[in-house]
Amino acid sequence: MIRKILVCLVLAGLAGACAPQDRVLLLPGEDGTAVGAIAVLGKAGRTVSVIDTAYTEAMVSGETIASKPTDAETVRRKDGDLLDALPKAPSSYVLYFTEGTTTLVPASEAALQTLLKDAAERAGADVQVTGHTDTVGPQASNDALSLKRAEAIREMLIGRGLAPELVRAVGRGERELLDQTEDGVSNARNRRVEVTVR
Amino acid sequence: MLKRIVALAALIILVPALAQAEIGRIKKSKGTATVERAGAAMAADSGLALEQNDILVTGPDGRISVTFIDNSRFSAGPNSRVNLEEFTFNPTTHEGGFVTKLEKGSLAVISGQIAKQSPDAMQIRTPTSILGVRGTRFVVEAGQ
Repeated sequence: MIRKILVCLVLAGLAGACAPQDRVLLLPGEDGTAVGAIAVLGKAGRTVSVIDTAYTEAMVSGETIASKPTDAETVRRKDGDLLDALPKAPSSYVLYFTEGTTTLVPASEAALQTLLKDAAERAGADVQVTGHTDTVGPQASNDALSLKRAEAIREMLIGRGLAPELVRAVGRGERELLDQTEDGVSNARNRRVEVTVR
Repeated sequence: MLKRIVALAALIILVPALAQAEIGRIKKSKGTATVERAGAAMAADSGLALEQNDILVTGPDGRISVTFIDNSRFSAGPNSRVNLEEFTFNPTTHEGGFVTKLEKGSLAVISGQIAKQSPDAMQIRTPTSILGVRGTRFVVEAGQ
């Protein structure tokens, strides 16, 4: 410790020589999706630097950054266990219903069986039911409508054996269209319920 | 009568604590792995619902894996303290804020809907640095 302090005193002229350094490793997106980015932020959220190349390892101390490239093999060796422990990606199931009811169309019955099995087998599983509408009507009423639909389907899933405390209902209104349409367009594919098993 | 009033008052005080919103769930853990909530430690068992301000704590052989309600995912490595300091999320608009303090140790992250909706709304802070998350898969190890 004393030696470290002495070294620090000797190196006091070199910025950041003694401050702890964080290691930041940016990886490609999961399953071959595009790489994202990590911003090193300064005071008041100012962007100091952006790391945006996959397989970059940066040593960061406050606003001081030293980056170098690394490779998949090195990552596997150093961080393989940590990355392998990430939870499994959430799965998404889209269900369709006879209009105005909570009766599944026959084609969605298989998806329901698969999602129930997924929820039963996943460790520490929880389930989200998200309602989506088409673009008919104003946004606020579509938010309410999609939530109401999601709540009805939540009840249906509880009836099929899911524990109530594990299922939440969410309305996303017309924000996530499956078919991109103009405003005010009736579209059966957009009127759907998505069930996410996490 | 007085007893009833006291019981009722206790219930009123307790209700907000019970109503604390779930922000995610522990999917798996191994070794020495606990969650600190309001100063008390509990076992980080699979299925435990997490709340804002919870701290994930692992020992030398410990690991904790979490999926949050915006689909963000964490894996905390051994000898870590991960403070889930701020988590707000509107599931309808996907707007929110997610600030994690990595007090020590290591964390692998796959970001979710909060980071996708607003750049830098998700942040990882270490004792020395502030990182804004613009997606998606990365590792942070706090220096010591």
